[in-house]
Amino acid sequence: MRRSLAIVAVAALALSACTTTTGGTAGSGSTEVVVAGTYPIDSIDPHGPQGGGTGPQMAEQAIFSRLLRVKPDGTLEGDLATAWKSDPTASEWTFTLRQGVKFSDGKPVTAKDIVDSFKRFIDLKGTNSANFPGYTLASTSDTEVVLKAPKPDAAIPRKLAVFFVLPSGVTANDTAFFERPVGSGPFRLERFSPNEIVFVPNEHHYGGAPKVSKVTVRKMPELAARLTALRTGEVDIAWGIPDDQLPAVQGESSLTVQTVQSSAVFTMWFNSSIPALKEAAVRRALWQAIDFQTIIKQLYPQTGTPSEGVVSANTLGFVKQEPVRHDPAAAKAALTAAGFDFNQKLRLQFANAEFRPFNQAVVSELQKIGVQVDLLEKEQAVFTKDLLALNWDINFQQLSNPTLDAANTIGRLYPCAAKRNGYCNPQLDQLLAQAGASADEKERVRLYGEAARIIWQDAVGMFPMAVKHAYAWNKRLSGFTPDPNGLPSFAGLQVGS
Amino acid sequence: MFRVIVKRLLTGVLVMWGAASLIFLIVRVAPGDPVTILLGTDASAEQIAELTASLGLDRPLLSQYLTYLTDVARLDFGRSYLLGQPAMPEVLERVPATAELMLTSTAIAVVVGLALGLLAGSRPGSIVDRIVSACTIALQSFPTFWVGIMLILAFALAFRMLPSAGAGTPAHLVLPSVTLALPFTAIVARLTRTSVAETMGEPYIQTARSKGLTERQVLAGHALRNSLIPVVTVVGLHMGGLMGGAVIVENVFAWPGLGSLIVDAVSNRDYAVVQAATFLIAGIVMLFNLVTDLVYSQLDPRIRLDGAV
Amino acid sequence: MRRIPYVVLAIYALVGGLGPLFIDYNPVRASLEDRLRGPGSQVSTGIAWLGTDGLGRDVLAQVVYGARTSVVIGLATVVVSCVIGVAIGTVAGYFRGWLDTVLARGIDILLAFPAILLTIVIAGAFERSVLVVVTALSATAWISFARVTRGIALSTRERAWVQAARVLGVPRISILVRHILPFTAGPVVALATLEFALVVLAEAGLSFLGIGLPNSAVSWGQTIANGKQYLATAWWISALPGIALSLLIVNIGILGDQLTARYGQRGRRS
Repeated sequence: MRRSLAIVAVAALALSACTTTTGGTAGSGSTEVVVAGTYPIDSIDPHGPQGGGTGPQMAEQAIFSRLLRVKPDGTLEGDLATAWKSDPTASEWTFTLRQGVKFSDGKPVTAKDIVDSFKRFIDLKGTNSANFPGYTLASTSDTEVVLKAPKPDAAIPRKLAVFFVLPSGVTANDTAFFERPVGSGPFRLERFSPNEIVFVPNEHHYGGAPKVSKVTVRKMPELAARLTALRTGEVDIAWGIPDDQLPAVQGESSLTVQTVQSSAVFTMWFNSSIPALKEAAVRRALWQAIDFQTIIKQLYPQTGTPSEGVVSANTLGFVKQEPVRHDPAAAKAALTAAGFDFNQKLRLQFANAEFRPFNQAVVSELQKIGVQVDLLEKEQAVFTKDLLALNWDINFQQLSNPTLDAANTIGRLYPCAAKRNGYCNPQLDQLLAQAGASADEKERVRLYGEAARIIWQDAVGMFPMAVKHAYAWNKRLSGFTPDPNGLPSFAGLQVGS
Repeated sequence: MFRVIVKRLLTGVLVMWGAASLIFLIVRVAPGDPVTILLGTDASAEQIAELTASLGLDRPLLSQYLTYLTDVARLDFGRSYLLGQPAMPEVLERVPATAELMLTSTAIAVVVGLALGLLAGSRPGSIVDRIVSACTIALQSFPTFWVGIMLILAFALAFRMLPSAGAGTPAHLVLPSVTLALPFTAIVARLTRTSVAETMGEPYIQTARSKGLTERQVLAGHALRNSLIPVVTVVGLHMGGLMGGAVIVENVFAWPGLGSLIVDAVSNRDYAVVQAATFLIAGIVMLFNLVTDLVYSQLDPRIRLDGAV
Repeated sequence: MRRIPYVVLAIYALVGGLGPLFIDYNPVRASLEDRLRGPGSQVSTGIAWLGTDGLGRDVLAQVVYGARTSVVIGLATVVVSCVIGVAIGTVAGYFRGWLDTVLARGIDILLAFPAILLTIVIAGAFERSVLVVVTALSATAWISFARVTRGIALSTRERAWVQAARVLGVPRISILVRHILPFTAGPVVALATLEFALVVLAEAGLSFLGIGLPNSAVSWGQTIANGKQYLATAWWISALPGIALSLLIVNIGILGDQLTARYGQRGRRS
């Protein structure tokens, strides 16, 4: 019997050895980099239903190239395209292609690959393809592709930052391809499992192969796990570090900590289609009732600043708005004057436990003036479903905008036809249409600014906070640039100085 | 023997049928219909009608139930609406992680529990015995999830010896498996203690002693052997409890096994996954009970299987 | 020594029952300037003896209100499952036959699921409420009661006085109530104590997973879960309610063992 006990013990050990991988790959001296992944990477098909998520996109931009990409400072940079220009109406855009670009299998990237990829992108109806309704891409020569929009669209270059190029001939559910994907990005996929994804340099990358020998993105949804691993050196890079943990991380001598202004703005829409919130005066009063200044100072001392507009300051189309002053007495008076029913319970929905304290604080503030709020924390999938169905009274979202162009937020979410928050204003619709059609950047900024003023003053939602992302990385790394959208590139990384 | 196994297997099939029906019942009674979950609320009436028909939800309940049972027999639970994949393979993919956790925990519980039980049972009433007894009561009473958090606090945050969550290296396995093992260690220890204490009072132990065997030989030769039968039984019978414990422990430590999958699926109302996972677990638990009974009868010829229900 | 569990449990009942009358707690009200203060800190509302959580809410108040939630749900579940279990168990044990077979198979089916799993699935499938939690917990908790009382009914029905009553033509229901049921009382009380501990643990586990109770309810499991993200800086949020919970369970466990030793019989539940 003692022997069988030993067998059990050995079997357990053997099993744990088989199913686990060796850890501590980030030891000094190696040129392997381990990244703590905040978001799940369920799929690396950039055109598939999950392809637009933050996790997948981070992987996709390592493996695949795009026509254009947005640099961390918000400016555009050519990737597969070297130059781009539009016709005067901004509805036809011509892209000159980079020459001599090769896929990781050594085959050249052709205009046909790009055109076929775009077709696949549109056909598979992933989340990002909704930005291109009725758009077509065609090649005019081996070195040029032309994108045609059904109506003027000045935001096309930035929108294209989410369009990734695959070789021609990849089918819809091509699992074999995505097990060993071929792309023209800086990295090649070595391994993809639910727990980690491993990249190795793509020797054929047009910009030269990355200097590190391996990049592993390890799935670590738990914050505590990310931070511990960062301190022990088990991982080299982590981000999304909340304020409560930042001082401890900043105290570590082996780590560089940096916050970077993101494109994200805490956006709390009111459902203007319900009777209680129909009046702009009511919505304004609710905004006024909440002491966001204090909430931000206490909960987000380092990564939060009061937002000065509907979109972040680094987004094209940002115009500063008049701050909303906290005045609970005036708020209460305004609500009473508007005949607000204080017995009614408003449903505030949000997803992700990370935002629980903020929303609890908001609920607490509203309760102080007698407004009852039911706080509903929902799972992401349920949240999204209810969000689209307008099954909420107040909705909290950390709204990011990877394109750094107001067209993607203001232009997309606030027209009547979008039906995203129950607000409808023909005057606003007109402004947004004009802004979308203008190819002149200054004019677009002016128009989006005017639109934002209406949104702000009518309190379509509250826009309390602009978000900074806190990044921390091991000092043994160089060449790392924090990304405002939580999508850092690993191409420029080096180990040791 | 063969007839007995066949009989037990048939009972098992009956139980699995009942389990599948129970799951069907819960999911049907629960609010929220699968079509809205799959399509979202802004779907058109035609889309809804089409999907309702293709899922067979417009047919009489009895006919739906029969279809469900045939699907279950083929282990087909439909697609997970969250993952877009057939549910059963997604569930099976999580099994190794949970198995790893449970095996390690069982090994810890049996080894440590036997040792503690021997220690306490060999000198009933001694200080050691009292300390072990007090510890086992505490270990069985402390809520698993809280113990897990306290272990994180101590070993991951204060001493920085072990990772606090996640999976991937043997070090990651330590805290979750210890947390899961603790209550079962207590159960094994209590059982062993009782059995050893009883055996030590038997006349043949006196005989063995008088023949000049050392205390260690007496313990190993007689007391340990006698206590193994109840321990094997209890390990087998507690597989269900261990599985339940794993559900919570996996959530504390973000362990990517069946338990965290189920809680996610329940929270998201991803019923295909919930059904597949609960059915699978019921099957595993049942199998373990069967194997336990068989092993039990092998260890102790006095026990006849057909009597045990 | 034997009285200790009684004293501790009385304190919990007192705190859970009367505490809310003396300590004011509004789970919605945040007090951000007081957040994450250690035990014994001076905060705007007085001294936070057990510290405050991430929103500046008093942990002591959460422990007190959590005690009430646990005790109420525990009692409700034990009463419900006791009534159901005893009724089913005695009837099946006394009448035997197909009823007994159906019961045995039904229990086999339920036991195929780990108790907590079935509870999670049931509680997760419905809208959050106390009622749903009690139902979900009772769905498995009645089994032990049924098993124990069935055993007692089986042995008692063969006793001479029951046989005599049957021969005398006493209605079967009367026999059940007058001659069988009283014998179940002792073991059922012992079992109820142990079940109470299991139920309180299960409820805390459920709340820890964020399933079952509405957000407005104060529960130890929820407080412990909330404190998890502040472990590195504010250990007291998770640690202290857990101690309160563990202490309660340990004492119920000891009491249950004492009662079981006195009355024997015990239903196994995995």
